[in-house]
Amino acid sequence: MAFRRAWFPYLIALLIAGLGVLLWIKAGPEFGLISLPVLCCAFLLTRKLVLQLAKANEQKLSLDRQLIQSQKLAAIGELSSGIAHEINNPLAIIGQEVEWMKHQAKDAGTGGGGNLAEFLDSLMEIGKQVDRCREITHKLLDFARKREPLIQTTDINKLVEDMVRLVEREAVKRKIKIDRDYQPDLPVVQTDAPQLRQVVLNLLINANAAIDAGGCITVATRVVDNGYVELSVSDTGCGIPEENRDKIFDPFFTTKPPGKGTGLGLSICHGIITKLDGRITVASEVGKGTTFAVRLPIGRRKGTTG
Amino acid sequence: MTGKPKVLIVDDEERFRITLRKLLGVQGVEANTSGSAREALEELNNRPYDVVLLDVRMPEMSGIEALAEIKKTHRDLEVIILTGHASVDIAVEIMRLGGYEYLLKPCAMDELVAKIESAYERKVAREERRRKAQVSPSDLAS
Repeated sequence: MAFRRAWFPYLIALLIAGLGVLLWIKAGPEFGLISLPVLCCAFLLTRKLVLQLAKANEQKLSLDRQLIQSQKLAAIGELSSGIAHEINNPLAIIGQEVEWMKHQAKDAGTGGGGNLAEFLDSLMEIGKQVDRCREITHKLLDFARKREPLIQTTDINKLVEDMVRLVEREAVKRKIKIDRDYQPDLPVVQTDAPQLRQVVLNLLINANAAIDAGGCITVATRVVDNGYVELSVSDTGCGIPEENRDKIFDPFFTTKPPGKGTGLGLSICHGIITKLDGRITVASEVGKGTTFAVRLPIGRRKGTTG
Repeated sequence: MTGKPKVLIVDDEERFRITLRKLLGVQGVEANTSGSAREALEELNNRPYDVVLLDVRMPEMSGIEALAEIKKTHRDLEVIILTGHASVDIAVEIMRLGGYEYLLKPCAMDELVAKIESAYERKVAREERRRKAQVSPSDLAS
């Protein structure tokens, strides 16, 4: 933003001074002298205005960062009960295997012989369950870690599939089917993968929440308009009434009961995608379903490092 | 404790069922297993049990739904919910439906065995009271 730069008010002042000199030459020295205080006031007012705008912009950027962080937490909150279940189950199995190994060891110690094969089997099982926990926690860390934006070469199909798998655990339990329609050989995209993951996860959670048991979510990727990759999340849910379609990207707009939704999800998604030089759009029909489409440029963004 | 309880372990995690059965066996508790709520309801109709250890999150039919079904047809069976999913709402629902106890995975074996034994004692005491209540009128008549 131009008004964030320190030299901008001085450029304006220079232009105003130039205007004063022009008036001096064209309208005579009298008019130039009269216009001098006016020009000074204009300079001071412009400088004040520019500094205020810069401050407001800083506050907005700071609020954006806070919103993105709070939305991450909200999304994690929604998944946390499922994650607790996913981690407590392997932990329970590990605890039992340890108990069983203790029995085998005690048995061997008292001359009962124990059973080495069972002992080793328990050890193997513990290893398997640890891997299971690690997979979950690594995905979570990847999602929750507060990172500076980092543009990197990203395989959109893989990124989308990772998020689909995370949500599929919940969806399957509600008898919701997730169809994949990924374009093979999709070009890689220069983008911020962690932030894009957050967007995809939010769209999937929304789709999952919008449909009843037996519904279907379709996740698709494709190249559009030569130079853009589009990913879309469609659901067979209740759809968004026309009067709400303009508001869904507004911060704090929600149709959920109090305490059930922050109303931040889609506005954060919109913010992220805009920052990534992309576009997020919605198409919906009441009673039939909704499709959210995210379009991202394939090439490297201006002024970014990979 | 009067006798040993017959336990049915209902959980969609196969390894959890297998090892828990072996561990309960070491403690002298006879246990069978079911991999789903539907399978468990069928098993309960085929064989007598005292205590059911029930997981909450299972495909097709949840443990909560299964608990409601069990209490309709096997009122005296004691049901202990054993789940990795912690929620006050679920705990309240379990108690409302007549569940005996709610344990969070992973839980210590000693604690689980103690809960199974106390659930079994409650079942035996209730059956005893009912038996006495049924016998009393005829005793009075004689």
